[in-house]
Amino acid sequence: MLVTLDPRDERPLYLQIVEQVRRALVVGSLRAEDPLPSVRELAAELVVNPRTVLQAYRALEEEGVVYVRRGQGTFVAPAVGGDDAGRRALARGVAERALLDARRNGLGAAELVAMIRELAAGEDDDGGRDAR
Amino acid sequence: MEGAMHADLGDGACAVATHGLTKRYGDATALADVALRVPTGAVYLLVGANGAGKSTAFRALLNLERPDAGRAEVLGLDVSARGPEARAQVGYVPDRHDAGPRALTCGELLRYAAAYRPTWDAAYADRLARALALDPAKRVGALSKGNARRLQLLLALAHRPPVLLLDEPTDGLDPLVRRAVLALLAEHLADGPTTVLIATHHVAEVESLADHVGVLRGGRLVAQLDRDALHRTVRRYRVRLADGREAQRTMRGEARDVAAVLAAEGAEVREAAPLRLEDGALALLQEEVPA
Repeated sequence: MLVTLDPRDERPLYLQIVEQVRRALVVGSLRAEDPLPSVRELAAELVVNPRTVLQAYRALEEEGVVYVRRGQGTFVAPAVGGDDAGRRALARGVAERALLDARRNGLGAAELVAMIRELAAGEDDDGGRDAR
Repeated sequence: MEGAMHADLGDGACAVATHGLTKRYGDATALADVALRVPTGAVYLLVGANGAGKSTAFRALLNLERPDAGRAEVLGLDVSARGPEARAQVGYVPDRHDAGPRALTCGELLRYAAAYRPTWDAAYADRLARALALDPAKRVGALSKGNARRLQLLLALAHRPPVLLLDEPTDGLDPLVRRAVLALLAEHLADGPTTVLIATHHVAEVESLADHVGVLRGGRLVAQLDRDALHRTVRRYRVRLADGREAQRTMRGEARDVAAVLAAEGAEVREAAPLRLEDGALALLQEEVPA
């Protein structure tokens, strides 16, 4: 499945769809010139209002991530892949959620970053490896 | 802050509207001065406890119930004067589960409906019947509650009406079929412009389809707003109280106004988190939100 929505996520649904498409590009399940599901298909699959899917596709189009071929649907732009801009945008989303969660728990950004470093260092010791 | 809760949607662009709609049953007030505004193309979710007046409002919109005061309009048609014309434009799933004459088979009832509906889409009706696993040979009177609901949904959708009034559309369906029905509804919306008014207890399952919410409490429409306004004006605030302790409050209003109200109480806003549509609607329903 290309896109899954998290019912606990409080962000607007279209942003979640945008992020999931970015994620698919970064992990490589979606590549340059691949077709995106039609608005109708994705709306039915996610049980969301088709306008929400349209809004997400328009936002991605404005960013140059996808383009519309008239009468054929929406496709990933030729130059787009798991490039740095995509990775950065995705990392930003993950970081925003983590920061929000930390603040909710009464923690500051510095404490969160310190703990992430500590955990990542621990993973390296255990033979865990960085995703990149 | 009543004004903020009733976003000004104007009258002209509404596919469904009521004006001062009031209905009493003896001493009980089912609807009190209700002014529904369902913009054309909206998926409007009407929430309320049992007996809040949702089904009465639906029947009044079809002129199946005469209001004591006020009026109802569908596509600009006053339904008390032009009920048949208005009903022809509406696909209706009623709260009750009687789908039609009990002696007919489902297939016979569908052929009958097709003959009376100029816009009946036979290919779509066949597709829906397969998707909903409806047996055309089964008698309407012998249908289970869930199967009667499937038949009612097919009858409401297959003539592709500009307006859908769905009163607890997934009532009586098992979880898998519920999801299938909602996916069919999403497809239906993608296929053509449709205005949908849904009354349901199961806000979570339709919240991703809805773009407008109305809240009925004791026959009164206590809130009516679009999704963005709900997101913006009903929030959960984490505050630091004067004594240094933290507390959570669900408040409605623009963030700046809420912060001012809280500041007057000596509380400082630490975070204002938007609520999911379901939580926002339930908060309005429970009257727990100070304005």
